[in-house]
Amino acid sequence: MGRECPHCKQTRPLIDRLVSETNIEITEMEVWHNEENARLMRKYGEAISKACGGDLGVPSFYNERNGKAVCGRVTVDTLRKWALE
Amino acid sequence: MNKRLLRCSVCNDIHLGTKGPEICPTCGAKNAFVVVDRDEALKVIGDQGGKIQTVEELVAVWSDFTKEKDFKLADDKEMIETLAKGELENQKNRGLKYCPCRITTGDFEKDLRLICPCNFLIQKTWKDYGECWCGLFVKR
Repeated sequence: MGRECPHCKQTRPLIDRLVSETNIEITEMEVWHNEENARLMRKYGEAISKACGGDLGVPSFYNERNGKAVCGRVTVDTLRKWALE
Repeated sequence: MNKRLLRCSVCNDIHLGTKGPEICPTCGAKNAFVVVDRDEALKVIGDQGGKIQTVEELVAVWSDFTKEKDFKLADDKEMIETLAKGELENQKNRGLKYCPCRITTGDFEKDLRLICPCNFLIQKTWKDYGECWCGLFVKR
């Protein structure tokens, strides 16, 4: 997530909905103002940048279980698929 | 790409590129650009150019950038201001107005692609939704 990213803000209710529907745990990390979080994002950079179309973008969602990522404007269906796959 | 600094020998316009413009955009002189070194270019520039330090100034620059183009600024004023604040923060903390919706890699050359406005016409979001990654610039 990025503090000044509009799509991150728009995605927040979708995350809340997904968490309440599925009970999965999603940890939100701000990456523009927290270098440690940014480093972690870069660590998963290959999967994330692929999902973002080439660059590291926000909002990005990384699934630690299967290494899959989704990025950018997403629907709740995309998020559900990403989380439960 | 081997870029060089060039100076218009008529009006002292400074240009960074592989070659100078055939016609100087400021004075209209033809084939007037000559290669100069960095020190000379910086001395010629001096204090000219001003700074973009406030949300209003930055939004005005963006607005001007969209003139006579097939894209415009998004309608959501609050969103535009949020993005402008983010870029000014990035300028303060990281030296350039990087897009707040993407993350720098630490590789300066690569990260130059993230300065806003970026080359958003090649982005998937432009092709799919008619907007840049952030949604700041949208198709008219």
